[in-house]
Amino acid sequence: MSGKEFFLHRYEKLGWKPSDIKLKQAIRINPTNAPNLEETVERLQSRGIKLEKISFLEKGYWVSKAKLSAGATTEYLLGMYSIQEAAAQIPVSLFTDLEGKVVLDACAAPGGKTVQLADLMHNSGVIIALDVEKSKLIALANHLERCHVKNTVVYQMDARHVAELGIKFGRILLDVPCSGNFAADSSWFARRSLKDIEANAALQREILAKAAVSLRDDGEIVYATCSLEPEENEMNVDWAVRNLRLQVEEIECYGEKGLTEIFGQKLHRSVENCRRIWPGQTQGFFVCKFRKRDEP
Amino acid sequence: MKTIADFARQFDAKLMLRRDLVVKKNNRYFLVDEKLKPFVSNNFYFAGTYLGKVKKNKFFPSFELLRMIAEKGKANKITINDRTEWLFICGRDVFGKSIVKVEGSAKKGAHTLVMNRYSDCLGFGKILREPSREVAGVAVKNVSDIGDFLRRERKNS
Repeated sequence: MSGKEFFLHRYEKLGWKPSDIKLKQAIRINPTNAPNLEETVERLQSRGIKLEKISFLEKGYWVSKAKLSAGATTEYLLGMYSIQEAAAQIPVSLFTDLEGKVVLDACAAPGGKTVQLADLMHNSGVIIALDVEKSKLIALANHLERCHVKNTVVYQMDARHVAELGIKFGRILLDVPCSGNFAADSSWFARRSLKDIEANAALQREILAKAAVSLRDDGEIVYATCSLEPEENEMNVDWAVRNLRLQVEEIECYGEKGLTEIFGQKLHRSVENCRRIWPGQTQGFFVCKFRKRDEP
Repeated sequence: MKTIADFARQFDAKLMLRRDLVVKKNNRYFLVDEKLKPFVSNNFYFAGTYLGKVKKNKFFPSFELLRMIAEKGKANKITINDRTEWLFICGRDVFGKSIVKVEGSAKKGAHTLVMNRYSDCLGFGKILREPSREVAGVAVKNVSDIGDFLRRERKNS
């Protein structure tokens, strides 16, 4: 089961019809390296990069006009900002009290969210960043160096093996590998099938289960995908609530409530606390915040 | 450690790093703090602040190390004009006429940090002749610049 029609029909059954998808480039200013937001915005405008504040993000800006690539300015190279999709800036912002914590970024490369974590932690505490592929680790290390991140240790490791580190984390970011979505990938419909999606959903559940074991009691997990498929999103959250010591927390952020009925299947009511972002100005995204429950 | 201190000395700067907080992975050096150190085990890939690497007996500094040296008040520095900033980042040498300020030694053969008007460190170079606006031709040879991040991105993509 695959193809454009198949997937569009599924989205329609979930209550969404694609229209007016115009992805806009976004940046996130890194306050650690650019403490004066206004000055940084002016500096970029003097270079010919016109920015517009993103209403639902604290440090996010749309690139509304650019005479040159936003990835080729002195300020970018000095780590004053990162090019980061607007919806992708949401997950890290959902954690509470990050400063001084021991944080796991389980699928970290290319590092946009790792840098955002370090920023919100003011380079305090510890981030353990994992990724499997060596080439992705090179990109991650470059990103950390460019943005002057000082509180991170990177390991080449599959997130499912995190227990081998013997660390209990207070906060865990699971920006899990996912099927992506068609808004950000023109060949998506041709490449993806329901079988892929189910395989990715199974991998995501394995990562969630292992992460939950390495999470301290009362610790937080933020789970995110850029997939539109419910198997990787609401259905995985439903599975986690029923099988792991995790509860879904209420969050306030951009997006629609998580779906609690998928193709006739009723999910745990707390799943509506998640946020689903259908593509529009941003790419599609899904985010959920869990807290570890006390032992029964 | 000596490698890093010797490198800083080329800018007439003294950099004192705690030996127990510098960790080495193959040919790469990192600076960690006391909180981070217990989390660094043998198989780490990157930790704390990357300081640089040694290749064929030559030390290649990170841009964070250059920034640390720049923060030492006495290090050799030149400030270049806005027009030259991007040219330097693209790997070009610095002409005398592009230099707006010189701090520290301007001795031929010495190393100097290259700064922009906001005091951001853009890289470093080797002084070929007295760096001043009056000198015609190349005054500072580009050795390393932050454009390297772009070059690495391209190489890695």
